[in-house]
Amino acid sequence: MLNLLWILLGSYVVGILLPFCLPRRAEVQSLSAGVPAVVATSAGVVLGLLGLTSSGFITGSLASTIPLLAFAIRIDPLAAFFLLTISLAGLAASIYALGYVRHFDGRASVSTIGSLFNGFLCSMTLVVLADNGFFFLIAWELMSLLSYFLVVTEHEKTEVRYAGLFYLIMTHVGTAFIIVAFLILFQGAGSFSFEIFRHPNQSLPEGMRTLAFLMALIGFGTKAGIVPLHVWLPYAHPAAPSHISALMSGVMIKTAIYALIRVYFDFLGGQFPWWWGFTVLFLGATSALLGVMYALMEHDLKRLLAFHSVENIGIILLGIGSGMIFHSYGLKELAALGLVAGLYHTINHAMFKALLFLGAGSLLYATHVRNIEEYGGLLRRMPWTGICFLIGAVSISALPPTNGFVSEWLIFQSLFLSYQLPTAFLKLMLPIAAAILALTGVLALACFAKAFGISFLALPRSTHARHAEEVPAPMRVGMGILAVFCVVLGVAPMVILPLLDQVVAPLAGISIQGKVLAMDGWALAPVNVDFSSLSTPTLALLLMALALLGWGLAVTFGGHRRKRRYKTWGCGINLTPRMEYTATGFVQPIKRVFSTVYQPTVKLETEFLDESRYFAKRRRFEFHIEPIFEKYLYDPLVAFFTTLADRLRVIQAGSLHLYLTYIFVTLILLLLLAV
Amino acid sequence: MQVLSYSGSQLVDLCSALLLLTCFAIVAQRRLSACVDLFALQSAFLVVTAALVAYLTGNQHIYIAAVLTGVIKVIIIPRVLKKVIDRLNVKRELVMYVNVPAGLLICGGLVMLAFFISEPIIPLGFLLTRDSLAIALAIVLIGFFTMIARQKAVTQLVGFLVLENGLFLGATAATYGMPLIVELGVFFDVLIATLIAGIYTNRLQDAFDSVDTNRLTVLKE
Repeated sequence: MLNLLWILLGSYVVGILLPFCLPRRAEVQSLSAGVPAVVATSAGVVLGLLGLTSSGFITGSLASTIPLLAFAIRIDPLAAFFLLTISLAGLAASIYALGYVRHFDGRASVSTIGSLFNGFLCSMTLVVLADNGFFFLIAWELMSLLSYFLVVTEHEKTEVRYAGLFYLIMTHVGTAFIIVAFLILFQGAGSFSFEIFRHPNQSLPEGMRTLAFLMALIGFGTKAGIVPLHVWLPYAHPAAPSHISALMSGVMIKTAIYALIRVYFDFLGGQFPWWWGFTVLFLGATSALLGVMYALMEHDLKRLLAFHSVENIGIILLGIGSGMIFHSYGLKELAALGLVAGLYHTINHAMFKALLFLGAGSLLYATHVRNIEEYGGLLRRMPWTGICFLIGAVSISALPPTNGFVSEWLIFQSLFLSYQLPTAFLKLMLPIAAAILALTGVLALACFAKAFGISFLALPRSTHARHAEEVPAPMRVGMGILAVFCVVLGVAPMVILPLLDQVVAPLAGISIQGKVLAMDGWALAPVNVDFSSLSTPTLALLLMALALLGWGLAVTFGGHRRKRRYKTWGCGINLTPRMEYTATGFVQPIKRVFSTVYQPTVKLETEFLDESRYFAKRRRFEFHIEPIFEKYLYDPLVAFFTTLADRLRVIQAGSLHLYLTYIFVTLILLLLLAV
Repeated sequence: MQVLSYSGSQLVDLCSALLLLTCFAIVAQRRLSACVDLFALQSAFLVVTAALVAYLTGNQHIYIAAVLTGVIKVIIIPRVLKKVIDRLNVKRELVMYVNVPAGLLICGGLVMLAFFISEPIIPLGFLLTRDSLAIALAIVLIGFFTMIARQKAVTQLVGFLVLENGLFLGATAATYGMPLIVELGVFFDVLIATLIAGIYTNRLQDAFDSVDTNRLTVLKE
C-alpha cells in the first residue's frame, strides 16, 4: 500500500514538471499533464478504497530539519474516504481536461494550467493525508495559493482579477483563524503531531476549547463557504476554468468539512457542549436556505452553481451538526447516523457538483457564453452533455433514484429522530431545521428546472446557442463517469454505507452498520426500523416499472399512432425564441414571495412611438437583488481598513533616507533598551 | 605564550582601530572615487585583522575568509564601483543631509554609544579579540549613518559595505568567525547586492539623469 502512495505522489510530481519539459503544442502539453493526473487519481481511488476496507492504518513520516515540522502521513478511514472523494472527482476532471484545456490554447498557457492542476490535486490530497499540524497548514496554504493561480488563469479580464484578489484575501483571513486554532491545540499538546493532538498530555481548559471550536469554525467555514463567509464563492468559482471550478466546488470546499470533523471529533473529541452542534446546525440551515435562494436569482450558470455549493455545504453541516448535538447527549447511534448522512452527502455533492460544473464548462466550450438566457435548445445539439447535466440536476434536486435523494433522506431522518433528545428547545429546533431543508430542496428543484429547461429546451435564443456543437470525446467521458457515479451511489447505498460506517465508527464510538441496513442490505432503516425505512433499489425498479407501465398503457389504449411532423401550434403565428419563457420570468413569482430577503430593485422603462402612446417601441427591464452581506457586512469592514491604511500612509513618505532613519533610530533605541 | 597573547591582542586592537579610522575618513570624504578607495583600504585592514586572528588562534577557516575578503572586497567590488562612477556625471557629493563637521561629530557620538553599549559585555568575553566588539559595533553604526546622511547611490552603497565590514569584524571578534558556510553565503550576498546596486545606480542615472536617491520620492503616487 505504501507503494501505491509513492505512485500517487510521484505521478503528481511528474504531472507538475512534465508539461514544462515538452514542446509547446497544446495537445502534447494537455496529455503530459492529463496522463499523470489520471494515473495519480486512479492510484488515489484504489488507495482510498484500501484504506476504507483494511483494518490497519497506513502511516509514513519523514523528519525535517525545521523544528515541530514532520512530513507525516496517516491514512485512517476518515482520510481514506476524503482521498477517495478527491481522487474520484479528480479522475473525471483530468479526463475532461484533456479536451477542455484546448479551448485555452492561445489565450493562456496550457502547460501552466496542466501543471497547476496537478499541483492543486496533490495539495488537496496532502491536506487530507497530513498527520502533522504544521504539514497540514503548509498543504492547506499550497492548496489555497495554487487554486488562486488557477482562478486568475484569464487574468487579462478585470473581473477575474477582482475575483482572484477577493478569494486570496478571504482564504488568507480564514487561514489566520485556522492557525490560531492549531496554536491553541498546540498549547495543550506541546507538539504539532496529530497523534498528540488526539491524546494531549494536559487537556485544555474549557474556555480554550471553546475558542478553538470557534476559530476552527470561522477558519474552515471561510473555505467551506458558510454564510456569511460565502461571499467569495460566487466570484472565484465562475472565474476559474470549468474543470478547476468542478474541483474547487466539488472537492476543495470539502477539505474544510474534513478538517472540521477532524478537529471536532478527533482532536476535541470526548464531550463538547450541545451549543457547539447547535451553532453548526444553525449555520448549516442558514447557508442551505440562503445559498439556494441566491442561486435562484442567478442567471450566470457558473455563479448559480457556486451558490448551490453554499447550499450543499449547508446541507452537509445539517447532518454533521445534528451528529454533534446527539454526540453531546451521548446518543451514539444517532450521532453516527448524522455523521454518516453528512459524509454521504459530501461524496454525493462532490459527484454531482463536479458533474454540473463540467457540464457548465461544456456549454461554455460550445457557446462561449455563461448566461443561461443566451442558451436554449441545446439538448438537440448537445445530447450527451444534456443528459449528463440532467442527471446532475436530478441529483442535486434530491430526486430518486439518484444519490442526492438518499443522502438528503438520511439527513431528514437524523433530524426527525431528535424526539429522543432530552431538551424541549432542541426537540423544537431540529424539526425546524428539517423544514428548512425541505424548503431548500423545493427551491433547488425550481432552480434546476429553470437551469435545465431554459438552457436545453425550446429554441435557441442566440447565435451562440444556434451554432453549438457537441463537445469532444474526453469531455463526454469525464462527465459520463460522474453521471454513472451519481446513479450508482443512489441505487446502491448498501455498498457505500458499510464504508461510511468504517469512517464514523471510531469517531462516534459505535458501529451502526447492522442497524442501518435491513433486509440483507436491500433497505435502509436508520437505527430504528419501525420509524422509517427506504429501499432505493426497489424504488428505482418501481420508477422504471411505472415508466414502462405508462408507456405500455399508452401503446395499448392510445390507439394506433400516426407520425406527423409539424410545428408547434402558435395561434397562427410563427414561433420565435422571443416567445419563450425566460429565466428572469421563471423566477419572478419566487422573487415576489421572498422580496424581504432579496430586496429587489425593479426598473421598467418603456419608449413609445412618437405617433401614439398605445404602441411601445422599446421596453427595457432591469432588476437587481441586493447583495445584503456584501453591502452591510463587508463594505463597512473594507471601508474601515481603507481609512486605517490611509492614516498609516503618513509615515510612508517614499523617501529612502527616511526609511533608513526609521530603522536606524529603532536599532539605537533597542540597543539602549538592552543595556 | 602570555606575552604573545597580550601583544596579539594589542595588534588586533590596533587593526580594528585603523578600520574605525577609515570610517571617519569615508564620512569626511566628498569625492566618490576616493570613498571607494577608502573602502578598499578598510577592507585591506580587515584582511589583516582576520589573518592575525587566524594566525593567533590557529583557526584555519578564518584564512579562507580573509582571502575571500581580499578578493571580493579589496579587488572586485571597488572595481565594479569605479566602473559605475565612470558613467556618472557628478563625481562628488554636492548636497548632504548632514554636513561633514556635523557628520564627524555624530560619528564620534556613535562610537561612544557603541562603547557604552558593549561595556557590560566585554568583561564577560575571554577571547583575545574581545575589545574589537565595541569597535565593530561602532563601524556598523557609522556605516548605517553614512547610508542615511548621503544622497548619492554610490556612497550609500559604500555605507552598506562598511556596515557589512563591521559585521564581519564583529563576528570575528565575538566568536572567531562564523562557520565557514555562513561566511561563504554572506560573501556571495554582498557580491550580488553590490552588482544589483550597481545596476540600480546605472538605471537611476538613466532615468533621472542623477543618482540622488531622494529623487525616488517622485515614484510615490
